[in-house]
Amino acid sequence: MYNRKVRGPLVEGNKSLGQITSDIVTPMEKNPGSWWYIAFGISSIAALFGFYAIYITVSKGIGTWGVNNSVGWGWEIINFVWWIGIGHAGTAFSIFLLILRQRWRTSINRAAEAMTVFAVLSAALLPTLHMGRVWLAFYVFPYPNTRGPLWVNFNSPLFWDFTAISAYLLISASFWYLGMLPDFATIRDKTASKVRKAIYGFFSLGWTGSSRQWIRFESLGFILGGIAAVLVVSVHSIVATDFAVGIEPGWHTTIFPPFFVVGAIFSGFAMVMTLMVIIRRAYKFTDYITDNHMDAIARILIFISLIMGTAYATEIFIAWYSGNEFEMFTLFRNRVTGDYAVQYWGMIICNALIPQLFWFKKIRRSWVGLLVVSLFINLGMWFERFNIVVTSLSKDFLPSNWVTYSPTIIEIGVFIGTFGLFASGVLLFIRFVPMMAISELKGVVNIGNKKED
Amino acid sequence: MTRAFKIGVFDNEEKFISAINLLQKKTFLIYDVFTPYPVHEVFHLLKRKSRLPTVAYLLGLFGIIGTLAFLYYTSVIDWPIIYGGKPFNSFPSFIVVTIVLTILTVTIGSLAVFSARSKLFPGRDNTVFDLRATDDKFVIVVEIASLNKPAAEEAGTIMNKQGAIEVYDKEFESVIT
Repeated sequence: MYNRKVRGPLVEGNKSLGQITSDIVTPMEKNPGSWWYIAFGISSIAALFGFYAIYITVSKGIGTWGVNNSVGWGWEIINFVWWIGIGHAGTAFSIFLLILRQRWRTSINRAAEAMTVFAVLSAALLPTLHMGRVWLAFYVFPYPNTRGPLWVNFNSPLFWDFTAISAYLLISASFWYLGMLPDFATIRDKTASKVRKAIYGFFSLGWTGSSRQWIRFESLGFILGGIAAVLVVSVHSIVATDFAVGIEPGWHTTIFPPFFVVGAIFSGFAMVMTLMVIIRRAYKFTDYITDNHMDAIARILIFISLIMGTAYATEIFIAWYSGNEFEMFTLFRNRVTGDYAVQYWGMIICNALIPQLFWFKKIRRSWVGLLVVSLFINLGMWFERFNIVVTSLSKDFLPSNWVTYSPTIIEIGVFIGTFGLFASGVLLFIRFVPMMAISELKGVVNIGNKKED
Repeated sequence: MTRAFKIGVFDNEEKFISAINLLQKKTFLIYDVFTPYPVHEVFHLLKRKSRLPTVAYLLGLFGIIGTLAFLYYTSVIDWPIIYGGKPFNSFPSFIVVTIVLTILTVTIGSLAVFSARSKLFPGRDNTVFDLRATDDKFVIVVEIASLNKPAAEEAGTIMNKQGAIEVYDKEFESVIT
C-alpha cells in the first residue's frame, strides 16, 4: 500500500519508540532559547496594538475605519476570509489525509490543527467587530427571546456563516484536543516534575492506553474526521455564498464556492509549509518532517496552483462570454486594468505563476525556496480577497456611487492584532504542547523502513 | 477492596502479540492490555469492538430531524416572515444550517459518549498499571482473582517465556480501565 521507493521512510534515523518520545518531549522541558522569547515579545506587542485598535473600534464605532457607503466591506472582511482560508489547512490536512489513509500526515497534523484553531479564532474576531455594536452580538443566536420571539433569518448566508464558523471552531478544537490525550498521558508518565505531572495529568483526562480506550479513540477519530471533512468543504462554500448571493458584478457567479474552497486549502497548505519550515529548522526535526514531507506538500501546492490559474481564467472568460457589460467592466476595466491592476496582477503572479517554481526539484528541496514561495502564496491569496471585496464594491452599477477605498491605521491595527494573536497562540503551542502526535508517529515508525519490507 | 494483578511488560510488539495469543489459548482471562499506540491485532485477538459508529449514526439522525423540526417551528409556526418571496418552509435553504448543526450534534454527542464509555474526564485518577505503557512498552494485565493460584503462576511463566522483560504482581485500591 505504501510505496517506499517513491516516498522514502516516514520517520528517518531508525528511531526506537522511546527515542520518539524523548525527541518530542525534551524540547518542551527545556528552556526554548532566546529566539522564542523575542518572537513571543514581538507577537505580544502586535496583539497589544490590536487590542488598542479594537478598543478604538468598539468605543468610537466603525467610523474609525476606511469603509464607506459603497465599500462597506474593507480590510476586516478581506482578512476574515484570508484567516478562515488559512484555518482550513489543519483540518484539510489531517482530515482529508486521514480519510485518504495518507500516513505521512502524522508528523505535521498536530501543528496544522493548532494553526487552524488560532487562525479561526483570529478570523472570528473580525466579523464580530464589523457588527459595530459588539455588545449586541448575541442577537445572532437563534434563541427564544423577548423580541417577539423574533428568530434570525435562516435563509441568509450571513447566518449560515455564523453557524458554520462557530461549529468549525468547536469541532476543530475538539478534534485537536482529542488527538492530544495520549500524548499528554505520555508526558504525565514520563516527567519527573510534580507540577507538570499534575497539569498534564489533568489534561490527559486519565488516559491509560488500554485496548478498550484505543479502539474507541480510533473509531471516534474516523467519525469526527469523516463528518468534519464535510464541514471543511461547507464552511468556505458558505463564506463564498456570502459574496455569491450578492448581486455585485464579480461576485454573482456559481464558480465561487468551489473556487473559495480550493483557494482556502491553497493558502492553508502554504501556511502549513511556512510554519513547518520554521519549526523544522528551529527544532531540528528533519528526521520526522523529512524532505519528502515538504516535497509532498509542494507537489500538492503546484496542483492547486494550476486549479487557481484555471479559475482565474474561467472568471475572465465567463465575464466576456456572458456578454454582461457590468461583469465585463469589473473584470476588464477594474481588475485586469484600472485602479486595482497591481493587486490583480499581484494575485496572478503569486498564486498562479510563482508556485510553478515547485516543478524544480532543487526548489522543493531547499528550505529557502519553500519558505519564499509559501510566503508569496499567502500574499497572493490576500490579494485575491482584496480583489474580490474591494474592486467589485468600489465601482458597481451607478458611477455616482464610485469611490476608492484605503484602510485607516485602526483597520490595519486590527489586522496586526490578529497576526499577534495567531503568532502568540502558535508560539505557546510549540512551547507547551507536543508538536507532533507522538502516539501516531509510533504507529508509523516502521513504515517505509527496511524492517517492514 | 484491593485487587491483585499479574503484569507482564514487553518491549517488542511481536512477542507481545504472541503472548496474548498463548494466554488466550490457555483460556486465561486477560484483564486488559496497554500499548503506546493502537495495535490492530490486539483488537482482533481480544475481540474488542466499538459501537461508536452506531451511536454517531443515531446522533446524526437526531441532529437532522431536530434541526429541521426547529427550523420548521421557528419559520412556519412561531413567527412566519416572508424573506425574498420564498415560502415559509424554504427547505432548500434550510439544508445548509441542517448539515452544519448535524455535524455539530454528532461531534459533541460522540465525544460525550466516548468520554463516558472510556471513563475519561477532567480530574480522573491518573493511576496506571505501568508507567512505561504510554512511552515504549507493551503491557499485559491478568487479574489474579480470576484464576486459581497455580494458574496465576502459569500465566506469569507464559509471559516470561514469550520474552517479557519483566513480570510482576501489583495490588490496586481502585479499578483501572
